[in-house]
Amino acid sequence: MFDPNSPDLTRPIEALEHDGPVMPPFVKRHRSFFTLLAIVTAQVLLLSLQITRNNHVRLIRYWAVEAFDPFERSLGGLMNVSSTAYRTYRHLWRADQENQELHIQLVAAQSQIQRLGEQAAETQRLRNLLDFKNQLGFQTLAAEVIASSLGNTSSPGENSNAIFIDKGSDSGLTADLAVITPEGVVGKILAIFPHSAQVLLITDASSGVGVTLAQSRVQGILKGSANGLCDLHYVMNEEVVTRGEAVLTSGLDQVYPKGLPVGTVVTVGDGNIYKTISVKPSADLNRLEMVLVVLKPTAAEQQALNLPLRRQ
Amino acid sequence: MPASTDRAVAVFKVHPAILSVAALGALLLQTFLPLKLPLARLMDFPLLITIYFALLRRDKMLGMALGTGLGLLQDALSHSYIGIFGIAKAIVGYLAASASTRFELESLGARSVLTGGLVLVHDLCLVALQHVLLEAPPRFQPMATASAVLVNVALGLVIFQILDRFRRPA
Repeated sequence: MFDPNSPDLTRPIEALEHDGPVMPPFVKRHRSFFTLLAIVTAQVLLLSLQITRNNHVRLIRYWAVEAFDPFERSLGGLMNVSSTAYRTYRHLWRADQENQELHIQLVAAQSQIQRLGEQAAETQRLRNLLDFKNQLGFQTLAAEVIASSLGNTSSPGENSNAIFIDKGSDSGLTADLAVITPEGVVGKILAIFPHSAQVLLITDASSGVGVTLAQSRVQGILKGSANGLCDLHYVMNEEVVTRGEAVLTSGLDQVYPKGLPVGTVVTVGDGNIYKTISVKPSADLNRLEMVLVVLKPTAAEQQALNLPLRRQ
Repeated sequence: MPASTDRAVAVFKVHPAILSVAALGALLLQTFLPLKLPLARLMDFPLLITIYFALLRRDKMLGMALGTGLGLLQDALSHSYIGIFGIAKAIVGYLAASASTRFELESLGARSVLTGGLVLVHDLCLVALQHVLLEAPPRFQPMATASAVLVNVALGLVIFQILDRFRRPA
Protein backbone atom coordinates (compact mmCIF):
# COMPACT_ATOMS: atom_id res chain seq x y z
CA MET A 1 0.00 0.00 0.00
CA PHE A 2 1.18 3.49 -0.66
CA ASP A 3 1.54 6.20 1.91
CA PRO A 4 -1.02 8.87 1.16
CA ASN A 5 0.47 11.31 3.66
CA SER A 6 2.81 14.09 2.95
CA PRO A 7 4.57 16.54 5.31
CA ASP A 8 2.79 19.53 3.83
CA LEU A 9 -0.19 20.99 5.65
CA THR A 10 -1.19 23.39 3.00
CA ARG A 11 0.46 24.08 -0.32
CA PRO A 12 -0.30 26.00 -3.50
CA ILE A 13 -2.21 24.19 -6.22
CA GLU A 14 0.87 24.30 -8.50
CA ALA A 15 2.86 22.57 -5.78
CA LEU A 16 0.48 19.61 -5.97
CA GLU A 17 2.10 18.68 -9.28
CA HIS A 18 5.09 16.44 -8.74
CA ASP A 19 8.54 17.39 -9.77
CA GLY A 20 10.17 14.72 -11.81
CA PRO A 21 12.88 13.97 -14.28
CA VAL A 22 13.57 16.33 -17.14
CA MET A 23 10.88 16.03 -19.78
CA PRO A 24 9.31 18.27 -22.40
CA PRO A 25 7.32 21.15 -20.90
CA PHE A 26 4.06 19.95 -22.45
CA VAL A 27 4.50 16.44 -21.05
CA LYS A 28 5.64 17.84 -17.70
CA ARG A 29 2.63 20.11 -17.49
CA HIS A 30 0.27 17.21 -18.17
CA ARG A 31 2.28 14.48 -16.56
CA SER A 32 -0.63 13.09 -14.62
CA PHE A 33 -2.76 12.93 -17.72
CA PHE A 34 -0.09 11.02 -19.60
CA THR A 35 0.27 8.75 -16.60
CA LEU A 36 -3.46 8.07 -16.80
CA LEU A 37 -3.07 7.28 -20.49
CA ALA A 38 -0.24 4.89 -19.71
CA ILE A 39 -2.25 3.16 -17.00
CA VAL A 40 -5.30 2.83 -19.23
CA THR A 41 -3.18 1.59 -22.13
CA ALA A 42 -1.47 -0.98 -19.94
CA GLN A 43 -4.78 -2.29 -18.73
CA VAL A 44 -6.23 -2.37 -22.21
CA LEU A 45 -3.28 -4.51 -23.22
CA LEU A 46 -3.90 -6.67 -20.19
CA LEU A 47 -7.51 -7.05 -21.26
CA SER A 48 -6.51 -7.85 -24.79
CA LEU A 49 -4.51 -10.78 -23.47
CA GLN A 50 -7.60 -12.20 -21.83
CA ILE A 51 -10.39 -11.43 -24.26
CA THR A 52 -10.84 -13.78 -27.19
CA ARG A 53 -12.73 -13.36 -30.41
CA ASN A 54 -13.54 -15.49 -33.43
CA ASN A 55 -12.67 -19.01 -32.32
CA HIS A 56 -10.59 -18.17 -29.29
CA VAL A 57 -8.26 -15.74 -30.97
CA ARG A 58 -6.89 -13.44 -28.30
CA LEU A 59 -7.82 -9.81 -28.72
CA ILE A 60 -4.21 -8.66 -28.66
CA ARG A 61 -3.47 -11.04 -31.52
CA TYR A 62 -6.61 -9.87 -33.31
CA TRP A 63 -5.50 -6.26 -32.95
CA ALA A 64 -1.94 -7.05 -33.88
CA VAL A 65 -3.09 -8.84 -37.01
CA GLU A 66 -5.51 -6.04 -37.86
CA ALA A 67 -2.79 -3.45 -37.30
CA PHE A 68 -0.16 -5.29 -39.29
CA ASP A 69 -2.45 -6.64 -41.97
CA PRO A 70 -2.26 -3.54 -44.24
CA PHE A 71 1.51 -3.50 -43.95
CA GLU A 72 1.71 -7.24 -44.57
CA ARG A 73 -0.60 -6.88 -47.55
CA SER A 74 1.51 -4.03 -48.88
CA LEU A 75 4.68 -5.96 -48.25
CA GLY A 76 3.15 -9.05 -49.81
CA GLY A 77 2.05 -7.04 -52.82
CA LEU A 78 5.48 -5.50 -53.08
CA MET A 79 7.07 -8.91 -52.80
CA ASN A 80 4.72 -10.26 -55.46
CA VAL A 81 5.50 -7.38 -57.77
CA SER A 82 9.21 -7.77 -57.12
CA SER A 83 9.01 -11.52 -57.56
CA THR A 84 7.03 -11.15 -60.77
CA ALA A 85 9.45 -8.54 -62.06
CA TYR A 86 12.40 -10.73 -61.14
CA ARG A 87 10.82 -13.79 -62.75
CA THR A 88 10.00 -11.78 -65.83
CA TYR A 89 13.55 -10.49 -65.96
CA ARG A 90 14.90 -14.02 -65.55
CA HIS A 91 12.59 -15.33 -68.24
CA LEU A 92 13.65 -12.53 -70.55
CA TRP A 93 17.28 -13.19 -69.72
CA ARG A 94 16.83 -16.90 -70.34
CA ALA A 95 14.93 -16.18 -73.54
CA ASP A 96 17.76 -13.93 -74.65
CA GLN A 97 20.29 -16.62 -73.77
CA GLU A 98 18.24 -19.23 -75.58
CA ASN A 99 17.85 -16.89 -78.51
CA GLN A 100 21.60 -16.48 -78.72
CA GLU A 101 22.17 -20.21 -78.36
CA LEU A 102 19.52 -20.99 -80.96
CA HIS A 103 21.02 -18.40 -83.27
CA ILE A 104 24.41 -20.07 -82.90
CA GLN A 105 22.81 -23.47 -83.46
CA LEU A 106 20.96 -22.09 -86.49
CA VAL A 107 24.16 -20.76 -87.98
CA ALA A 108 25.88 -24.07 -87.27
CA ALA A 109 22.94 -25.99 -88.75
CA GLN A 110 22.90 -23.79 -91.83
CA SER A 111 26.62 -24.27 -92.20
CA GLN A 112 26.20 -28.00 -91.78
CA ILE A 113 23.36 -28.07 -94.30
CA GLN A 114 25.50 -26.16 -96.74
CA ARG A 115 28.42 -28.46 -96.10
CA LEU A 116 26.24 -31.54 -96.47
CA GLY A 117 24.78 -30.08 -99.64
CA GLU A 118 28.23 -29.56 -101.01
CA GLN A 119 29.20 -33.06 -99.97
CA ALA A 120 26.10 -34.43 -101.64
CA ALA A 121 26.86 -32.49 -104.79
CA GLU A 122 30.44 -33.64 -104.68
CA THR A 123 29.30 -37.20 -104.13
CA GLN A 124 27.02 -36.88 -107.11
CA ARG A 125 29.82 -35.48 -109.21
CA LEU A 126 32.12 -38.26 -108.10
CA ARG A 127 29.46 -40.82 -108.87
CA ASN A 128 28.99 -39.37 -112.31
CA LEU A 129 32.72 -39.33 -112.74
CA LEU A 130 32.95 -42.95 -111.64
CA ASP A 131 30.17 -43.98 -113.97
CA PHE A 132 31.87 -42.15 -116.77
CA LYS A 133 35.17 -43.74 -115.89
CA ASN A 134 33.64 -47.19 -115.98
CA GLN A 135 32.30 -46.46 -119.45
CA LEU A 136 35.69 -45.66 -120.82
CA GLY A 137 37.81 -48.29 -122.44
CA PHE A 138 41.06 -46.93 -121.11
CA GLN A 139 42.77 -46.24 -117.83
CA THR A 140 42.07 -42.94 -116.14
CA LEU A 141 43.04 -41.32 -112.90
CA ALA A 142 40.73 -38.98 -111.00
CA ALA A 143 42.21 -35.67 -109.92
CA GLU A 144 40.95 -32.59 -108.18
CA VAL A 145 41.38 -29.11 -109.53
CA ILE A 146 43.32 -27.14 -106.95
CA ALA A 147 44.17 -23.83 -108.66
CA SER A 148 44.31 -21.88 -111.83
CA SER A 149 47.57 -20.68 -113.25
CA LEU A 150 46.14 -17.63 -114.91
CA GLY A 151 43.34 -15.23 -114.44
CA ASN A 152 42.60 -12.44 -112.09
CA THR A 153 40.34 -14.23 -109.64
CA SER A 154 40.76 -17.10 -107.27
CA SER A 155 38.12 -19.14 -109.03
CA PRO A 156 39.86 -21.90 -110.89
CA GLY A 157 39.63 -21.57 -114.60
CA GLU A 158 37.80 -18.27 -114.70
CA ASN A 159 39.45 -16.07 -117.30
CA SER A 160 42.33 -18.47 -117.26
CA ASN A 161 43.39 -21.04 -119.74
CA ALA A 162 45.26 -23.36 -117.47
CA ILE A 163 44.53 -25.13 -114.19
CA PHE A 164 46.39 -27.15 -111.65
CA ILE A 165 45.36 -30.60 -110.51
CA ASP A 166 46.41 -32.42 -107.35
CA LYS A 167 48.09 -35.35 -109.10
CA GLY A 168 51.58 -35.27 -110.51
CA SER A 169 54.48 -37.49 -111.43
CA ASP A 170 54.16 -39.35 -108.13
CA SER A 171 50.84 -40.62 -109.38
CA GLY A 172 52.31 -41.74 -112.67
CA LEU A 173 51.28 -38.75 -114.74
CA THR A 174 53.33 -37.44 -117.57
CA ALA A 175 53.05 -34.52 -119.96
CA ASP A 176 50.55 -34.49 -122.84
CA LEU A 177 48.04 -36.68 -121.11
CA ALA A 178 44.42 -35.84 -121.92
CA VAL A 179 42.24 -34.40 -119.15
CA ILE A 180 38.51 -34.93 -119.50
CA THR A 181 35.23 -34.79 -117.62
CA PRO A 182 31.95 -36.62 -118.25
CA GLU A 183 30.75 -33.51 -120.02
CA GLY A 184 33.68 -33.26 -122.38
CA VAL A 185 37.33 -32.64 -123.00
CA VAL A 186 39.13 -30.22 -120.68
CA GLY A 187 42.65 -30.04 -122.02
CA LYS A 188 45.97 -31.77 -121.69
CA ILE A 189 48.77 -31.81 -119.15
CA LEU A 190 51.24 -29.10 -119.95
CA ALA A 191 53.71 -29.37 -117.10
CA ILE A 192 54.21 -32.06 -114.58
CA PHE A 193 55.30 -31.72 -110.97
CA PRO A 194 55.77 -34.34 -108.25
CA HIS A 195 52.42 -33.70 -106.55
CA SER A 196 50.58 -31.60 -109.12
CA ALA A 197 50.27 -30.93 -112.78
CA GLN A 198 49.40 -27.96 -114.93
CA VAL A 199 46.65 -28.56 -117.47
CA LEU A 200 46.34 -26.45 -120.59
CA LEU A 201 42.67 -25.91 -121.35
CA ILE A 202 41.27 -26.33 -124.83
CA THR A 203 40.25 -22.67 -124.74
CA ASP A 204 43.89 -21.62 -124.71
CA ALA A 205 45.07 -20.20 -127.98
CA SER A 206 48.12 -22.43 -127.97
CA SER A 207 46.12 -25.61 -127.55
CA GLY A 208 45.05 -27.80 -130.39
CA VAL A 209 42.65 -30.72 -130.46
CA GLY A 210 41.97 -32.93 -133.40
CA VAL A 211 38.18 -33.08 -133.75
CA THR A 212 35.47 -34.47 -135.94
CA LEU A 213 32.00 -33.08 -136.48
CA ALA A 214 29.54 -35.69 -135.30
CA GLN A 215 27.17 -35.54 -138.32
CA SER A 216 29.22 -34.39 -141.22
CA ARG A 217 32.31 -36.26 -140.02
CA VAL A 218 34.39 -33.33 -141.18
CA GLN A 219 37.66 -33.10 -139.34
CA GLY A 220 39.49 -30.05 -138.17
CA ILE A 221 41.70 -28.53 -135.52
CA LEU A 222 40.11 -26.91 -132.49
CA LYS A 223 41.97 -24.01 -130.99
CA GLY A 224 41.21 -21.68 -128.15
CA SER A 225 40.04 -18.13 -128.55
CA ALA A 226 39.84 -15.11 -126.30
CA ASN A 227 36.16 -15.19 -125.42
CA GLY A 228 36.10 -18.59 -123.72
CA LEU A 229 35.03 -20.32 -126.91
CA CYS A 230 37.06 -22.35 -129.37
CA ASP A 231 37.54 -21.92 -133.07
CA LEU A 232 37.34 -24.83 -135.41
CA HIS A 233 39.99 -24.43 -138.11
CA TYR A 234 40.60 -25.98 -141.46
CA VAL A 235 37.02 -26.76 -142.46
CA MET A 236 36.43 -25.92 -146.05
CA ASN A 237 33.70 -23.51 -147.02
CA GLU A 238 31.97 -26.11 -149.09
CA GLU A 239 31.51 -28.42 -146.15
CA VAL A 240 28.09 -28.44 -144.59
CA VAL A 241 28.26 -27.58 -140.94
CA THR A 242 25.13 -26.91 -138.99
CA ARG A 243 24.73 -24.89 -135.89
CA GLY A 244 24.35 -27.06 -132.78
CA GLU A 245 26.31 -29.91 -134.28
CA ALA A 246 28.37 -31.89 -131.78
CA VAL A 247 32.13 -31.85 -132.00
CA LEU A 248 34.03 -35.02 -130.99
CA THR A 249 37.68 -35.85 -130.64
CA SER A 250 39.13 -37.50 -133.74
CA GLY A 251 42.05 -39.22 -131.96
CA LEU A 252 44.41 -38.11 -134.68
CA ASP A 253 46.40 -35.85 -132.35
CA GLN A 254 47.57 -38.89 -130.36
CA VAL A 255 46.57 -37.12 -127.16
CA TYR A 256 42.81 -37.35 -126.84
CA PRO A 257 41.09 -40.68 -127.31
CA LYS A 258 38.71 -40.80 -130.20
CA GLY A 259 35.02 -40.05 -129.77
CA LEU A 260 35.07 -37.89 -126.65
CA PRO A 261 32.68 -34.93 -126.71
CA VAL A 262 34.44 -31.62 -127.10
CA GLY A 263 31.72 -29.08 -127.69
CA THR A 264 28.89 -27.76 -129.81
CA VAL A 265 28.95 -25.54 -132.86
CA VAL A 266 27.48 -22.18 -131.94
CA THR A 267 28.26 -20.07 -135.01
CA VAL A 268 29.14 -21.01 -138.54
CA GLY A 269 30.35 -18.65 -141.23
CA ASP A 270 32.20 -18.77 -144.50
CA GLY A 271 35.72 -17.41 -144.74
CA ASN A 272 38.13 -16.99 -147.59
CA ILE A 273 38.87 -20.64 -147.86
CA TYR A 274 37.86 -22.10 -144.53
CA LYS A 275 34.75 -21.65 -142.54
CA THR A 276 34.83 -19.65 -139.34
CA ILE A 277 33.24 -21.91 -136.79
CA SER A 278 32.89 -21.17 -133.11
CA VAL A 279 32.52 -24.06 -130.72
CA LYS A 280 31.34 -23.88 -127.18
CA PRO A 281 33.15 -26.43 -125.00
CA SER A 282 30.91 -29.11 -123.55
CA ALA A 283 32.72 -29.04 -120.23
CA ASP A 284 32.15 -26.00 -118.07
CA LEU A 285 35.76 -24.96 -117.87
CA ASN A 286 34.99 -22.17 -115.40
CA ARG A 287 33.60 -24.59 -112.81
CA LEU A 288 35.91 -27.51 -112.89
CA GLU A 289 36.34 -29.47 -109.68
CA MET A 290 37.05 -33.09 -110.52
CA VAL A 291 38.63 -34.33 -113.74
CA LEU A 292 39.90 -37.55 -115.16
CA VAL A 293 43.39 -37.87 -116.56
CA VAL A 294 43.64 -40.38 -119.37
CA LEU A 295 46.70 -42.52 -118.73
CA LYS A 296 48.98 -43.85 -121.43
CA PRO A 297 47.36 -46.92 -122.88
CA THR A 298 49.03 -50.23 -122.39
CA ALA A 299 49.85 -52.41 -125.39
CA ALA A 300 46.56 -54.23 -124.98
CA GLU A 301 44.69 -50.98 -124.78
CA GLN A 302 46.50 -49.48 -127.73
CA GLN A 303 44.27 -51.30 -130.13
CA ALA A 304 41.16 -50.35 -128.21
CA LEU A 305 41.98 -46.69 -128.66
CA ASN A 306 41.11 -47.02 -132.27
CA LEU A 307 37.65 -48.32 -131.33
CA PRO A 308 34.79 -45.99 -130.66
CA LEU A 309 33.89 -45.14 -127.10
CA ARG A 310 31.91 -47.85 -125.44
CA ARG A 311 28.43 -46.74 -124.73
CA GLN A 312 26.09 -48.41 -122.38
CA MET B 1 -17.78 26.35 -5.15
CA PRO B 2 -14.82 27.11 -7.40
CA ALA B 3 -11.42 27.21 -5.74
CA SER B 4 -8.82 29.59 -7.06
CA THR B 5 -5.64 27.93 -8.24
CA ASP B 6 -3.42 30.57 -6.69
CA ARG B 7 -4.70 30.16 -3.19
CA ALA B 8 -3.87 27.46 -0.62
CA VAL B 9 -6.30 24.60 -0.26
CA ALA B 10 -6.62 22.27 2.66
CA VAL B 11 -5.00 18.87 2.26
CA PHE B 12 -5.70 16.14 4.72
CA LYS B 13 -4.12 12.83 5.51
CA VAL B 14 -5.08 9.64 7.21
CA HIS B 15 -3.08 6.94 8.80
CA PRO B 16 -2.03 4.34 6.22
CA ALA B 17 -3.71 1.67 8.27
CA ILE B 18 -7.02 3.48 7.90
CA LEU B 19 -6.60 3.55 4.14
CA SER B 20 -5.66 -0.11 4.10
CA VAL B 21 -8.57 -1.14 6.25
CA ALA B 22 -10.97 0.99 4.25
CA ALA B 23 -9.78 -0.47 0.93
CA LEU B 24 -9.84 -4.03 2.22
CA GLY B 25 -13.20 -3.56 3.83
CA ALA B 26 -14.61 -2.09 0.63
CA LEU B 27 -13.42 -5.08 -1.37
CA LEU B 28 -14.83 -7.53 1.16
CA LEU B 29 -18.16 -5.77 1.29
CA GLN B 30 -18.25 -5.60 -2.51
CA THR B 31 -17.65 -9.31 -2.68
CA PHE B 32 -19.92 -10.64 0.00
CA LEU B 33 -22.65 -8.10 0.61
CA PRO B 34 -24.48 -8.64 -2.71
CA LEU B 35 -24.96 -12.26 -1.70
CA LYS B 36 -26.99 -11.21 1.33
CA LEU B 37 -28.49 -7.93 0.17
CA PRO B 38 -29.68 -7.64 -3.47
CA LEU B 39 -29.64 -3.83 -3.27
CA ALA B 40 -25.90 -4.07 -2.67
CA ARG B 41 -25.46 -4.98 -6.30
CA LEU B 42 -25.94 -1.30 -7.03
CA MET B 43 -23.28 -0.28 -4.54
CA ASP B 44 -19.65 0.14 -5.45
CA PHE B 45 -17.60 0.40 -2.28
CA PRO B 46 -14.17 0.47 -3.96
CA LEU B 47 -15.38 3.31 -6.17
CA LEU B 48 -16.46 5.37 -3.16
CA ILE B 49 -13.15 4.72 -1.39
CA THR B 50 -11.29 5.84 -4.51
CA ILE B 51 -13.34 9.01 -4.75
CA TYR B 52 -12.95 9.83 -1.09
CA PHE B 53 -9.19 9.49 -0.90
CA ALA B 54 -8.65 11.25 -4.22
CA LEU B 55 -10.68 14.17 -2.89
CA LEU B 56 -8.90 14.00 0.43
CA ARG B 57 -5.37 14.14 -0.93
CA ARG B 58 -6.16 16.20 -4.05
CA ASP B 59 -3.48 14.20 -5.80
CA LYS B 60 -4.13 12.90 -9.32
CA MET B 61 -1.36 10.33 -9.17
CA LEU B 62 -2.66 8.98 -5.91
CA GLY B 63 -6.22 8.95 -7.24
CA MET B 64 -5.16 7.04 -10.33
CA ALA B 65 -3.02 4.59 -8.37
CA LEU B 66 -5.71 3.92 -5.81
CA GLY B 67 -8.40 3.56 -8.47
CA THR B 68 -6.26 1.25 -10.53
CA GLY B 69 -5.29 -0.91 -7.56
CA LEU B 70 -8.81 -1.23 -6.20
CA GLY B 71 -10.24 -1.77 -9.68
CA LEU B 72 -7.78 -4.56 -10.52
CA LEU B 73 -8.45 -6.26 -7.18
CA GLN B 74 -12.19 -5.94 -7.81
CA ASP B 75 -11.66 -7.50 -11.25
CA ALA B 76 -9.61 -10.26 -9.72
CA LEU B 77 -12.29 -11.05 -7.17
CA SER B 78 -15.02 -11.06 -9.78
CA HIS B 79 -15.39 -13.21 -12.86
CA SER B 80 -14.83 -10.25 -15.12
CA TYR B 81 -11.78 -9.66 -17.27
CA ILE B 82 -8.97 -8.11 -15.26
CA GLY B 83 -8.67 -4.48 -16.23
CA ILE B 84 -12.27 -3.43 -16.80
CA PHE B 85 -12.80 -1.95 -13.33
CA GLY B 86 -9.12 -0.99 -13.21
CA ILE B 87 -9.52 1.34 -16.17
CA ALA B 88 -12.83 2.79 -15.03
CA LYS B 89 -11.64 3.48 -11.49
CA ALA B 90 -8.31 4.92 -12.67
CA ILE B 91 -10.25 7.44 -14.74
CA VAL B 92 -12.56 8.20 -11.84
CA GLY B 93 -9.61 8.66 -9.46
CA TYR B 94 -7.97 11.05 -11.91
CA LEU B 95 -11.16 13.06 -12.41
CA ALA B 96 -11.88 13.18 -8.69
CA ALA B 97 -8.42 14.49 -7.88
CA SER B 98 -8.67 16.99 -10.73
CA ALA B 99 -12.03 18.24 -9.45
CA SER B 100 -10.73 18.51 -5.90
CA THR B 101 -8.08 20.98 -6.99
CA ARG B 102 -10.70 23.24 -8.57
CA PHE B 103 -13.67 23.03 -6.28
CA GLU B 104 -14.30 23.29 -2.59
CA LEU B 105 -15.79 19.91 -1.81
CA GLU B 106 -16.23 20.02 1.95
CA SER B 107 -19.97 20.58 1.74
CA LEU B 108 -22.33 17.64 1.46
CA GLY B 109 -23.99 19.07 -1.59
CA ALA B 110 -20.77 19.43 -3.53
CA ARG B 111 -19.66 15.97 -2.49
CA SER B 112 -23.02 14.53 -3.51
CA VAL B 113 -22.96 16.13 -6.92
CA LEU B 114 -19.39 15.15 -7.56
CA THR B 115 -19.94 11.61 -6.31
CA GLY B 116 -23.02 11.23 -8.46
CA GLY B 117 -21.17 12.53 -11.48
CA LEU B 118 -18.23 10.22 -10.93
CA VAL B 119 -20.49 7.20 -10.41
CA LEU B 120 -22.15 8.06 -13.71
CA VAL B 121 -18.77 8.40 -15.40
CA HIS B 122 -17.70 5.05 -13.94
CA ASP B 123 -20.84 3.38 -15.25
CA LEU B 124 -20.39 4.92 -18.70
CA CYS B 125 -16.79 3.79 -18.77
CA LEU B 126 -17.83 0.22 -18.01
CA VAL B 127 -20.49 0.28 -20.72
CA ALA B 128 -18.03 1.73 -23.23
CA LEU B 129 -15.29 -0.76 -22.38
CA GLN B 130 -17.63 -3.72 -22.59
CA HIS B 131 -18.98 -2.49 -25.88
CA VAL B 132 -15.60 -1.73 -27.43
CA LEU B 133 -13.51 -4.56 -26.05
CA LEU B 134 -16.06 -7.30 -25.53
CA GLU B 135 -18.22 -6.33 -28.50
CA ALA B 136 -21.22 -6.44 -26.17
CA PRO B 137 -24.25 -4.49 -27.30
CA PRO B 138 -24.53 -1.11 -25.55
CA ARG B 139 -26.63 -1.82 -22.49
CA PHE B 140 -26.92 1.62 -20.93
CA GLN B 141 -29.98 1.48 -18.75
CA PRO B 142 -30.88 4.95 -17.49
CA MET B 143 -33.03 3.73 -14.65
CA ALA B 144 -30.46 1.30 -13.37
CA THR B 145 -27.78 3.91 -13.71
CA ALA B 146 -29.86 6.51 -11.92
CA SER B 147 -30.56 4.02 -9.16
CA ALA B 148 -26.86 3.23 -8.86
CA VAL B 149 -26.07 6.93 -8.75
CA LEU B 150 -28.59 7.59 -5.99
CA VAL B 151 -27.61 4.56 -3.97
CA ASN B 152 -23.91 5.27 -4.20
CA VAL B 153 -24.36 8.96 -3.45
CA ALA B 154 -26.28 8.08 -0.36
CA LEU B 155 -23.80 5.41 0.63
CA GLY B 156 -20.93 7.76 -0.12
CA LEU B 157 -22.26 10.45 2.18
CA VAL B 158 -22.31 7.94 4.99
CA ILE B 159 -18.88 6.50 4.25
CA PHE B 160 -17.34 9.93 3.76
CA GLN B 161 -18.70 11.04 7.14
CA ILE B 162 -17.24 7.98 8.78
CA LEU B 163 -13.85 8.39 7.16
CA ASP B 164 -13.78 12.12 7.89
CA ARG B 165 -13.45 11.18 11.50
CA PHE B 166 -10.04 9.65 10.82
CA ARG B 167 -8.56 12.41 8.78
CA ARG B 168 -6.28 15.09 10.09
CA PRO B 169 -4.59 18.06 8.41
CA ALA B 170 -1.48 17.13 6.48
